[in-house]
Amino acid sequence: MAGDEDQVGDTRGAVDDVLVVDGLSRRFGELRAVDEVSFRIAPGETYGLLGPNGAGKTTTISMVAGLIRADAGTVRVAGQRMSPSHPQPKRHIGLVPQDLAIYPELSARENLVFFGRLQGMGGADLKGRVQEVLELIGLADRAKDKSKNFSGGMKRRLNIGIGLLHEPHLLILDEPTVGVDPQSRNSILESVERLSTAGMAVLYTTHYMEEAERLCDRIGIIDTGRIQAEGTRDELIRLTGGVDQIRLAGTGDLTHAIESLRELPAVEQVDHDGLALRLTVHGAPTAVAEIVTRATGAGMSLADVEITRPDLESVFLQLTGKALRD
Amino acid sequence: MGRIWTMTAADLKQRIRDRSVIIFAIVVPLALMGILNLIIGGAEEGTELGDMTVAASVPQGDASADGVLSALEGIEGLSITVNQVDEDRARADARDGTATVGLLIPEGFGAGLSSGEGCDVTVIEGDGAGLEGQVLTSVLTGIVDRFAAATVATQAAGALGVPAADLQDIAQDVTTAAPSISLTDGQASDEQLSDSGALVAGQAGLFLLFTVGFGVLSLNAERDQGTLPRLLSMPMRPSAVLISKGLVSFLLGIVATTILLVAGGLMFDVNFGSLPAVALLVLSVVTAATSLMFVIARVAKTAEQANIAQSIIAVTLGVAGGAFFPLAASGLLGRLLDLNPVAAFIRGLGITSGGGGVADIAGPVLIMFGFAVVVGVISRLVPDRGTSL
Repeated sequence: MAGDEDQVGDTRGAVDDVLVVDGLSRRFGELRAVDEVSFRIAPGETYGLLGPNGAGKTTTISMVAGLIRADAGTVRVAGQRMSPSHPQPKRHIGLVPQDLAIYPELSARENLVFFGRLQGMGGADLKGRVQEVLELIGLADRAKDKSKNFSGGMKRRLNIGIGLLHEPHLLILDEPTVGVDPQSRNSILESVERLSTAGMAVLYTTHYMEEAERLCDRIGIIDTGRIQAEGTRDELIRLTGGVDQIRLAGTGDLTHAIESLRELPAVEQVDHDGLALRLTVHGAPTAVAEIVTRATGAGMSLADVEITRPDLESVFLQLTGKALRD
Repeated sequence: MGRIWTMTAADLKQRIRDRSVIIFAIVVPLALMGILNLIIGGAEEGTELGDMTVAASVPQGDASADGVLSALEGIEGLSITVNQVDEDRARADARDGTATVGLLIPEGFGAGLSSGEGCDVTVIEGDGAGLEGQVLTSVLTGIVDRFAAATVATQAAGALGVPAADLQDIAQDVTTAAPSISLTDGQASDEQLSDSGALVAGQAGLFLLFTVGFGVLSLNAERDQGTLPRLLSMPMRPSAVLISKGLVSFLLGIVATTILLVAGGLMFDVNFGSLPAVALLVLSVVTAATSLMFVIARVAKTAEQANIAQSIIAVTLGVAGGAFFPLAASGLLGRLLDLNPVAAFIRGLGITSGGGGVADIAGPVLIMFGFAVVVGVISRLVPDRGTSL
């Protein structure tokens, strides 16, 4: 893990955490794929591992899911130590791999029943749960069709449904929207939001900044196998010194407006830019209403208001020196 | 164990649905058996002997000479027609192919035998006599040899002072008496399958080595289609995945080999003998073949590598084991060939088809199970490049 100075907002205790990853490392030959990665996920929390391809996301997930052994460090799921040779902790996780982990020759129902049995389910419980999941992923009417005949989006939904079947404490989604059309992508993101709301802990890897911003309560920015920074979106932006900007375009008494706006605590700086004012602001979404009121009250007639916020892309660029999709 | 059966059942269902097993483990070998049997069958038909004609010149009123002709006509299994002609005609018929061979028995043949002096019998084989001519010459040689033996016997009897009147009876006895020494088929002879039987057994053994490969291919398919990580995330030991693939190979091997032996036996009229003994042989050879799967699974990183390794092993063991034709070698190489599970399987089926039971096939069975144990140990010793299971 990066130095403690990069750790932000992780003050919760370990007792309630569904997942506790501590000092996880893994080498492949000379390559240090994962280097002392640590993070925690609480129930109902969606944690995003955001990083470019080859950053170490999938290797981290492979160790969290007990697919491969860690060279160092520990993974605890629901309080149990995870290891490839220990079946018990694996009951608590639902893995949705990046590749479509479904059998093309089996139908949607057969795929679900197969993996349900491997999870130790059976009888009426399994039958009922399979039907629930089929309805949840919108494949109830195609349950008997072989999955090889499904569209890419349907396959992705089935892939996620298998991970949900046994109602795990922790759902691990490894880049679940890669190669998915926009409609299916939105459907997947909505599903993840619903699961999180229902109390499921979610570990979500992606290299799509907008997905991380939309879904994740906290984000770990990972690159070259290390967590470079961690926190909520706003914490990460503050960590890198990012501030919001508001542009007020209009006419009237701009000089009076500038003086009035500088009195607001959220406003750090006000510059005159032709027929507009450019404000550097902390917390633009909450401050914008008062800023507009002050400006118009000072005699400015507003024609346009534009808010520009720093995003995770810029945070990533600042932390790693490269773009997220490099 | 329940999870292993779940994975095995799902795997078998998929293999049956995509028809790959049915095609490569049953249809293709049966078709190949049919083609090879046509070739072998054609060769066997070519060796069938046709009608044979002997143009014989024999002295009038010579009972012994007549006895030679009677012996010739009385040989079971051969269709021989004897035409009595004069010496010149006999020579001419043999030359122009009218007769398969010409037989010239000289005047005084019977007297020569009785007196023990003997005489020369001439057999003329024409250029077009072919295999029938050679067979007929061989048969005539055998008959004449018996008469020659009679000559020796009468000479000996005369030297011992046996009355001349009795010498004729002695000569008659020697030429007509049943042999006092007979040949009985030994074990080596019993172990030889018929050509069709060897073909069915060999092809079943060869294609078994391909059939068990479906387990490895299935493991690679899990990796390629992305289901292996999900399987490994299930609450079970990683080795359960490998065991289920081994079980798939084993069950497919049992079913495919049984079908090939039954269907091949019916198609080509081969009886492999004792059912329990044959079942034990099938169990043994499938166990031996399945053990190879674990080695391939360890060393092959990709489906392509697994395919190549499997093909090399199958063809090498199959050909060396006598899947297409029997191989014979002496010394160390011969012993190594004997340790080949395909060879042991074919040898075992030879014993059962010759009437052997479970106790008689202990050797081949031990070889096959021993092979499985050794290969199983090797599979744990070689570096794991493929499964990480």
